[in-house]
Amino acid sequence: MNDTAPNQIGGGIMLGVLIGLMPKATLTAQLLIVLLMALRVNIPMGLLAAIAVSLLNPLFDKVTDPIGYALLTAEGLRPLWTKMYNMPLVPWTGFNNTVVPGGIVLWAALAAPIYFAGRRVGAFYNEKFRDRVMNSKIVKGMKASWLLDWYFKGAN
Amino acid sequence: MRWSYIAPRLGLLVILWAFFFFAFDPLLKWGLVKGIEKGAGAKAEIASLHTTFLHPSLKITGLAVADSKEEYRNLLEFSELSFSAEGAPLLEKKLVVDEAALKGLKFGTARKTSGRLPFVKEEPSPMVDAMVAESKGFALDRVADVKGDFAADYKVDPAELESVKLAKELEAKYDKDYKDIADRVDPKKYQAALDELKARYEKAKDEKNFAKQAKDYAEIAKEVKKVTDQFKKDKAEAQAAIAAAKDAFKAVDEARKKDTANVMSKMKLPSLDKASLARMLAGPAIAERTAQGMKWAAMARKYMPDNNKGVLKNEAKRGREVHFPKEHSYPTVLVRRVYVSGELGAEDPLDYSGSIEGLTTQPSVYGRPTTAEVKGAKGARRLDFRCSVDATGAEIKTDSSLLYSGIPVKQMSFGSASSLLVNVTGAAAAFDGKLKTAGAALDGKATVKLTGAAFKADASKIKMEQLRTAVESSFAGLNSAVIEAGIAGTVKDPKLSVDTDLAAALSKAFSGALGAEVKKAQEEAQKKIDEALKPYRAKLDSLASAKQAELEGKLKDAEGKVSGQGESLLKGLTPAKLKLPKIKF
Repeated sequence: MNDTAPNQIGGGIMLGVLIGLMPKATLTAQLLIVLLMALRVNIPMGLLAAIAVSLLNPLFDKVTDPIGYALLTAEGLRPLWTKMYNMPLVPWTGFNNTVVPGGIVLWAALAAPIYFAGRRVGAFYNEKFRDRVMNSKIVKGMKASWLLDWYFKGAN
Repeated sequence: MRWSYIAPRLGLLVILWAFFFFAFDPLLKWGLVKGIEKGAGAKAEIASLHTTFLHPSLKITGLAVADSKEEYRNLLEFSELSFSAEGAPLLEKKLVVDEAALKGLKFGTARKTSGRLPFVKEEPSPMVDAMVAESKGFALDRVADVKGDFAADYKVDPAELESVKLAKELEAKYDKDYKDIADRVDPKKYQAALDELKARYEKAKDEKNFAKQAKDYAEIAKEVKKVTDQFKKDKAEAQAAIAAAKDAFKAVDEARKKDTANVMSKMKLPSLDKASLARMLAGPAIAERTAQGMKWAAMARKYMPDNNKGVLKNEAKRGREVHFPKEHSYPTVLVRRVYVSGELGAEDPLDYSGSIEGLTTQPSVYGRPTTAEVKGAKGARRLDFRCSVDATGAEIKTDSSLLYSGIPVKQMSFGSASSLLVNVTGAAAAFDGKLKTAGAALDGKATVKLTGAAFKADASKIKMEQLRTAVESSFAGLNSAVIEAGIAGTVKDPKLSVDTDLAAALSKAFSGALGAEVKKAQEEAQKKIDEALKPYRAKLDSLASAKQAELEGKLKDAEGKVSGQGESLLKGLTPAKLKLPKIKF
């Protein structure tokens, strides 16, 4: 549960932002959540970033929707989309929803700045808040939980 | 990648899957029950629900939906609904069912427990309320007093008259509507367009280049045709508006008739025209059944797929979904055929069977209408129901018919206990109904024929003995009746018309007993209403005739300009004589 190195916090936030941008009822979002859980990144920060971005989605959609629409209706990409549309399982990824490809493009453009900003947030967090958070009742309580202990036992 | 993380997560996934596997059926059952209860406004029960995932299937048994109007009656129930989904389309996010079976479908069955839901209020239907109020308020108690001249003392308040209210509304509407139409057919508009074309023609006439001149002429001719077509369109719309305005006067006349009936009712005297009598007798029962049917139709329309043929659909909660051509195109949800079987009627039920074909959420993808056909026969009874819902075009069109003959009717009644009640016993009924809808527009009619019946009028509310006897004896001699209903208007504002030969019998009884007196009172009431309406009607008439004359003048003026100048322009649009090069031999 520790994964609190600045680069792990940055990675978590970076991945969380992508999860936040995706519609949650798609296979893409579910696979990304599994990826967040499986990678050595800071999960709580990732989840917090995902929740924060999800709350701001009405604003982000104004950018991601036109990008996705441009991609999905581009003549050059039409054969690719049509092929994907006819493949089994792929439609479950929601790739034909404008905010999915639009979100991925927006995230790809912002991934590096988000990662570096996330690292700085991580360093700041470690310096100022980490001890206070780790010693808080809620975190101690969660650590004492056998379920979470079992779930996160491979962390270290 | 931390594999040590993945193992416990996989374990958690297994637990989640197990939870989903075991809890899915109860959750789905709960969700279905709540959804049906919300729609029906009454309790719903499902005895069991079972789903399988490897071979995707669903089986529901013992579903019962209570009637929100009758506490201990079910609106419908069925013993089993089962279907299996095709596996391959599921991978494409599509639910395709080849065949489903709906068994033991029954309507109006008794239930042991109350079907009422707490905190559910039945939405009032203005159509039913109006018919019931008219039937209840059908004044018969003071009919004997009609012999006196008491109607002369009754005062009519113009502000309360529907016809006056309507005349005022129409007056305000006329000003606005006519201004809009007059602006559209303004001759200046066409004159300006023709002047511009004439200027272009003059310029093109001097053009030396024959090819360019021909091209310019062709373009001008095209523009002239466009102006002519636009005028024709505007003219047709203006004429339609004038015709609609004339129809509005009919509405004032209709309102005037209703006002007469209302005034008669307030004077505690019955309105004796056949239409009022028919509405009083058969109106409430027909309106209630129609309203119930409309309620279910409105619910079906709510869940009916909205046909948007464009490639882009706003069906996602976020963003927009772009659809691409499919090699094997399936709608998102498709049930190719549902076999339906069940029973109709509580005592000596009629077995019926049939099928519903092409149930889908994307009719434009499926490309065929949803159809239903149900038939049944037992002894003298015949049932034939056909329905087609075509949502493949821009608007949803439905066409349905129901023929149900030989229905035994032990007891039924017409009218209202507070005015006049007609009890019918031992009849055989035959129902023949047809309904067509296009978008929100309704067009339907239904006929119920009662044969071999005994009619008995409860005329105890009529104090005048002579009339009471006349009414009772007029029904005593009957053994058959025809009740006709028509529906028009729109889903939100349906117009129901009712007619029955029972009304003719009643009218005859009234006319025979004291027709002349009531007619005199009615004429007096009519006179009072006409007097109250007169200034408003006169104002409306003069306004309408002035506006119509103005509009017709404008139309004539514009027509003269468009046909005269347009045609002369078109005649001139012949390219100059072709100057052939001189060839010297």
